[in-house]
Amino acid sequence: MARPGFVLEVDERTPPLLVHQGEGFRLQKFPLGSRVIYPPDSLPRLRGLRNHIRHALDHPHDSEPLKELLKPGMRLTIAIDDISIPLPPMQSPDIRQLVLEEVIELAARRGVEDIKLTMANSLHRRMTADEIKHAVGERVFRSFYPKDLRNHDAEDPDNLAYVGKTDRGEEVEINKRAMESDLLVYVNINLVAMDGGHKSVPVGLASYRSVKHHHNVETMLHSKSYMDPRPGRSAIHDSCKRMGDLLKQHGLKVFTIEATVNNDTFPDPFGFMNKREWEWSLLEQGTYLAAKKANDLGPSAARHQIWTRIKSPYGVTGVNAGETEAVHEQTLATLHRQQLVEVNGQSDIMVVGIPYLTPYNVNSILNPILVHCMGLGYLFNMYRNKPVVRPGGAMIMFHPVPNEFHQVHHPSYVDFFEEVLSETTDPSTIESKYEERYANDPWYIHLYRKSYAYHGVHPFYMWYWGAHGLDYLGDVIMVGGDPKTCERLGYRAASSFRDALEMAGETVGRSPSITYFHVPPLAIADVR
Amino acid sequence: MSWTREIREVARGWRWGRRTMTPRSALDSTPPPKIWSYPTDWARTAAGRVARDVILDAALKPIIWNETTPEVFGVDNLEGVRGPVMFISNHSSHLDASIILTTLPHTWREKTATAAAKDYFFDVWWRSAFTALVYAGFPVERGAGEKATHKAKELIRDGWNIIVFPEGTRSTDGWLQRFRHGTSRLALDMKMPVVPIAIVGAYAAMPKGRSWPRRGRPPIRVRYGRPIYPREGETHQQLSLRMQQGVAELFDEDRTSWWEAARRAARDETPSLAGPVGPGWLRTWEGSRPIRRSGKPPTWR
Repeated sequence: MARPGFVLEVDERTPPLLVHQGEGFRLQKFPLGSRVIYPPDSLPRLRGLRNHIRHALDHPHDSEPLKELLKPGMRLTIAIDDISIPLPPMQSPDIRQLVLEEVIELAARRGVEDIKLTMANSLHRRMTADEIKHAVGERVFRSFYPKDLRNHDAEDPDNLAYVGKTDRGEEVEINKRAMESDLLVYVNINLVAMDGGHKSVPVGLASYRSVKHHHNVETMLHSKSYMDPRPGRSAIHDSCKRMGDLLKQHGLKVFTIEATVNNDTFPDPFGFMNKREWEWSLLEQGTYLAAKKANDLGPSAARHQIWTRIKSPYGVTGVNAGETEAVHEQTLATLHRQQLVEVNGQSDIMVVGIPYLTPYNVNSILNPILVHCMGLGYLFNMYRNKPVVRPGGAMIMFHPVPNEFHQVHHPSYVDFFEEVLSETTDPSTIESKYEERYANDPWYIHLYRKSYAYHGVHPFYMWYWGAHGLDYLGDVIMVGGDPKTCERLGYRAASSFRDALEMAGETVGRSPSITYFHVPPLAIADVR
Repeated sequence: MSWTREIREVARGWRWGRRTMTPRSALDSTPPPKIWSYPTDWARTAAGRVARDVILDAALKPIIWNETTPEVFGVDNLEGVRGPVMFISNHSSHLDASIILTTLPHTWREKTATAAAKDYFFDVWWRSAFTALVYAGFPVERGAGEKATHKAKELIRDGWNIIVFPEGTRSTDGWLQRFRHGTSRLALDMKMPVVPIAIVGAYAAMPKGRSWPRRGRPPIRVRYGRPIYPREGETHQQLSLRMQQGVAELFDEDRTSWWEAARRAARDETPSLAGPVGPGWLRTWEGSRPIRRSGKPPTWR
């Protein structure tokens, strides 16, 4: 049985701890008495994965078996999670490929001919052919790409279907082909509790017109946290559920397939990053030193290439299929077994290292706005019940925050950084003053549809993800951050961790309690 | 951070060359480290023996004889004894094994190996190598039952004498602790004679916690006793008691005289070495009482 999550109390026996900082990492000593949150050990991976998938399709939750739902002459659409998960991308074969092959095999045997596959990329950038091939596998790719395997286009009026409004007035507009299909099969990978469930179809296949109803400041401020999708806890999930219910009322039949993965995040030779430091062998200590030296000395382009090429040896821990909510309940149970860590009480300071990768910079550059999203958005919100840090506390992050952007993937981010953030960092002001203009900018729309750019409104959402954190925290300090970039983001830059603690002392007092959230591999703090 | 500083940080953080330590709060959730099995056979080869002789005679013995004042008695008890034998002794100091090896006649020493706790003496490579080479040490897994004596049996079958400290660990107060039964079981299984040895004064000279003898060349007396032969039908408990008795008689002999100790032993009145009953400090206080300088009893008494 895998060891459960664990909260370490730093004592004099504790070695320095690994901290990620973008495309780099370091060992950092923490003050005695600091707490460190470690995720549970990796759950054992399922052996005979194809059999598990077949079993899930034949014994779904609250649904007929898939083969009973597949009929000759029907219109079948299969939507697939896009490149934003899992992180880092999975080593081949990707679980999506295995699931797709089983689903398509069943469809072929049942005489289904009209099949379309859609990457559910919502307002994310389109996936390249190579990226799609890696996700779906060569056989599926060769059979369906490009005619019947496409990226979802949230700005194609001819291929969007307006469904109606929820009882809260939220407009629902999704992919037309999906809406008009006899059956929509959604193939998901659940890396964090935020994903999956009703967040798959009403977000992944939606348009800006629909997404803006839950991706806004008000919703984010009332999602405490959006990693805790229980009803009433996360406004964004409540909104997605209303949309999902509306789609169901309008006759959309969804067969959801969700998979969970374990915590085998880093492959060898970076395997030491998956382990608790005091359990590092001599070989792993040597590997750390060699990898650190090579990483520090290597040219930045080579370094970027190496990090980008990392593929995770994730093991699949569960595959569930059937009715969306029933499936997601099972998925969350497995996910929590892998990620949930019980933590007693909040602390004055939360420390996190921002890794090199977020959902929106796969094969790309982690720009300052994505650093904000990862730190104050995702990592701050990796909790249930209460944040790890107390109200008005400080968050210390590690990242160099260089002023770098991917010009193809993130064009609107550049303008957001230069134009919007130079005026204000207040999410509500930004939303009311700038969002519509960026969202409807024809050039950004063109780049989203024809190039590989994130939608014009995407940097706004990244900023909103951090709205709850910004509202909640008293201070945000970035260790090793570029001072000018940090200033633009509204952070303070510190040259060392010791300096950062000094600076945080102004907000939280001279003897603060400190909690280091040791991720990745990912964990969710269940704060009591 | 410079490369050297980085290496130093890792070396310090992970205690290179020392026993690794787990943070206290992680003790319950961390599996015990795998104890490394260090090969020791190389140290018992001819080359290893030569090297050991050089180290013991040219380095260890001069140091011990310079820092302490050892006296050796009863080596003649080994005359006519056919090996392999098991040397057993009280254990209260790191000096014990060195003193036995440096006082044993060469003919015995060259074929004598020392049982050493695997978790302590064979935890890191350099300590393992040192133990193997200098003491002809071989690892014994404490608390491993039958498995712990596999290596010892193999050596005995090859004709090696072995030095064993039946208490299992050094005494913290200078008094004799309970003998572990594994030692007597081994002697019974191998039907080998057991030579008791009393090391008097080593605790006062260099108790647990010290890595160098006290100043003033403290006296240490080593007394070899007559071999104890396992009897037919004897249980390991009975043999263990006789072994303890053998060591206790040597202590009594050191305190009084051979004749008096022999008479007391005949009356079954040999004083116990379990130490005084009382608080821990009292036991330590009495156990660390300096011993008289000369091995001979005062003539005026």
